[in-house]
Amino acid sequence: MSSVILRSDFKGLSPAEFFYRNREIAGFSNPVRALYQTIRELLENSLDATELYGILPTIEIDIKIDEEHSDRVIITVKDNGIGVPIEHVPYVFGSVFYGSKYDLKQSRGIFGLGIKMAVLYSQLTTGKPIFVRSSTPDSPIVHEEEIMIDISKNMPIIVSQRIFKKRRKEHGTEVRITIEGNWAMAKRRVEEYVRRTAMIAPYAEIRLRGPDLELEFKRSTRILPNPPRLGKPHPYGVDIELLKMLISDCDANMTLKEFLLKKFEGTGERTIATFLRWSKLNGNAKVKKLSIKDLDQLSKAMRGFSKWRRPRPIPLSPLGEKLLKEGVKKILKPEYISAVTRKASSYSGHPFIVEVAIAYGGEIPVVDKPILYRFANKIPLLYDEGVDVARKVVDSIDWGYYKVKFPAPLAVIVHICSTKIPFKGVGKEAVADVPEVEREIANAIKDCARRLRRHISYIEKIHEIKRRKITILKYLPEVTRALNEITGVSEKTIKEKLIAILEKDLKSRGEAKIGKEAKTKSV
Amino acid sequence: MVKRRRRKAFKAPTYEEVIERLEALGRVVVDQIMKGEKPYFEIPVRSLANTIWDSRRRILRLGSKKAIRDFFSINESKKFMQTVLMLSLMLRARRENDYPTIRDLYYTGKHTIEYVDHLGRKRTEETWYDQRESNAIIQDIEVMTGILREHMGIMHDAKGKIVGNVIIRSKGYRIDLSRLGSGAYAIPPNPDRLEILEVDAEYVLVVEKDAIFERLNEEEYWRREKCVLITGKGQPDRSTRRMVRRLSEEFGLPIYILTDCDSFGFYIYSVYRSGSISLSYESERLATPDAKFIGVAVTDIYEYKIPKNYIIKATERDLKRAKELLSYPWFSSKAWQKQLKLFLKRKEKIEIEALSGHGFKFLSHRYLPEKISTGKWIE
Repeated sequence: MSSVILRSDFKGLSPAEFFYRNREIAGFSNPVRALYQTIRELLENSLDATELYGILPTIEIDIKIDEEHSDRVIITVKDNGIGVPIEHVPYVFGSVFYGSKYDLKQSRGIFGLGIKMAVLYSQLTTGKPIFVRSSTPDSPIVHEEEIMIDISKNMPIIVSQRIFKKRRKEHGTEVRITIEGNWAMAKRRVEEYVRRTAMIAPYAEIRLRGPDLELEFKRSTRILPNPPRLGKPHPYGVDIELLKMLISDCDANMTLKEFLLKKFEGTGERTIATFLRWSKLNGNAKVKKLSIKDLDQLSKAMRGFSKWRRPRPIPLSPLGEKLLKEGVKKILKPEYISAVTRKASSYSGHPFIVEVAIAYGGEIPVVDKPILYRFANKIPLLYDEGVDVARKVVDSIDWGYYKVKFPAPLAVIVHICSTKIPFKGVGKEAVADVPEVEREIANAIKDCARRLRRHISYIEKIHEIKRRKITILKYLPEVTRALNEITGVSEKTIKEKLIAILEKDLKSRGEAKIGKEAKTKSV
Repeated sequence: MVKRRRRKAFKAPTYEEVIERLEALGRVVVDQIMKGEKPYFEIPVRSLANTIWDSRRRILRLGSKKAIRDFFSINESKKFMQTVLMLSLMLRARRENDYPTIRDLYYTGKHTIEYVDHLGRKRTEETWYDQRESNAIIQDIEVMTGILREHMGIMHDAKGKIVGNVIIRSKGYRIDLSRLGSGAYAIPPNPDRLEILEVDAEYVLVVEKDAIFERLNEEEYWRREKCVLITGKGQPDRSTRRMVRRLSEEFGLPIYILTDCDSFGFYIYSVYRSGSISLSYESERLATPDAKFIGVAVTDIYEYKIPKNYIIKATERDLKRAKELLSYPWFSSKAWQKQLKLFLKRKEKIEIEALSGHGFKFLSHRYLPEKISTGKWIE
């Protein structure tokens, strides 16, 4: 969760205190939403701690109702990830804004703000500390801690700590947290969330156990998507805060020219020279000495310059067509699926990639308009579908052109990867109508839909051949009986001849169809 | 007793010929199958578009358009099955010397086919669901073989009646149609199976309505006027039309048609004379091109000064039908155009009974004799 702006606007208030007072923003507004949000934070952290480091995720989620307090839920999430080094634990779980929030790469938000919100919410509603048990792969120990947050000082409190010698080869993190929550109400949403997560991460093994629920999503592939590499910000996406951040890491002698060249994506010697000429800025000025006014001028010029190269998709980690199909197939069990991963594109300096899959038939329910599954950086989006750009695009498509006649068993899966997803509002559940993104989604859907159309025509023809065969066979006994009565030629002879004619007819039709099908197999 | 001599004897196909023709039709299909070809029937199209007005012979005829009924084309497959099914039933009736009605054929051929559809569901289908389907197939076989169903020994609900100085022979019995008392002879479904031995009459009067027929019969109009009296009870069936045609063709009798004065009466006249659109393929045997419309004409309403209380306002349907008649080539004569245009202009109609406005005897003692003797009919 990005929070750069908030931080500067609310100076004087401890960040922990601020979030404590504004927990609705982070999704902890009521016991239903809070339970859902906590599970979400933990599951996403576990996925990031595994797949980003080349580990096939195995994650167990365990939900229990507190025996003494029926309004309290105990959530345990255990993964086989890289673990948290013992010295980082207090800060990772007990101090808001710990962590490298300015890394420019796609992630779900590894141990970001969300987990601390969960800790705060737990503390507020049950007064209980968070339990952590973790071990890194190369460490000889396993450690367990109980952590709370000192809200006014934004400092962790270590309630207890135990260290064990590692007995068997293991690594990963187990987190247990007790919060006030409403499992009965949150159950279906949690279930759906986990189901959709399993769809976008077919390489993960996820088990979900609840008081009246047991779900297991088996790993259906051992292939992981390429992890994202660290990228640099693009000039189109800068603001004063970001410039300040980047400058704080520079040494005293770095000039503006060097700064632009080294710290940004899409710049080069020649482009910078053109930019400096165009903006009339002094390329030899020392960046450390720039005033707020200078920085304001610089950021405006960087955003206004039209000749930066497009950002490269280095920091992005799309699933790829194969994995996306694998995941969708595993969860939706369709009769047909096509998927496309578009080339990288960008909007206001932020690279993004759109992936779309279209699933048809099989176990997909027959509905009046396409079922939409939305994902942003591999996170399922469950809320606010009505205002999402993907819904808008899906609804604007003339499905009849692609031979889909509603009600139909059709699902559309849209995954957007970006270093900055253009969310609508603070809820982060709907993507805004950015024209570049909208166009990419539309192109991807149309691409998939064209393949679906070929498939449907193929199926129609197969059905037509089947219907044909059934029709002829249905009337055959009556026809042979009557012709026998009329002419005296034996029923057997007539029947055999007619069947031979039918087989020849079906064969010639079938072969014509198979020829066409070969072309559609390009998926 | 002056006897009119028969001009020519009509020869209906014998039952042996019927069997041969029906078998030949099935044989064509089986031959196709034996050669490994997809079997089909070639059927003349029975629709308005394929109905031709033959102005020389003054009858409606079937055009030359033919349709292919292919067993292997999905939309025709069932009709193909129905065609061979019906063919086998008709043939069975002839071979076993039975005389089923068209409804018998419907029931005998109706059974349930069980099958599994392309989605694996168990389903059933009837060979045909109502009699209109099987009747249509019978008509298809009639046009393909060129044999009327009456000649194939298939019965229907015949409703025509005849009375007059006529002696016929049916199944070996001589029947004198002038010795039936208050009754009349019911025209059988296949009038070609009876022999018309003697006719002592000057003309044939065909009346649309049964009630008028009964009245004229009761007062023995036919004996006094020396005519044959026939009714088809409204829209005439095939056997009534065939009987009228035979009397015209074989005995050269003038045929006069009396109907109500409205569009439907006019159309009934044209069915006797030219044939109907739906059965145009039968016109060659059923139509009587020389039949004359004796009345009641539109102009009669005014010329005979029919009292106002007998005049009815024409309905929208009457007017619509009259406009259609106006465009048919078989109503294109000057006289008919005049009648129809007057009808459309005055929007008035009357029934035959309206002539009683001048007394109950007016129709039989003045109107008909006057019209026939002065030649005031319409063609």
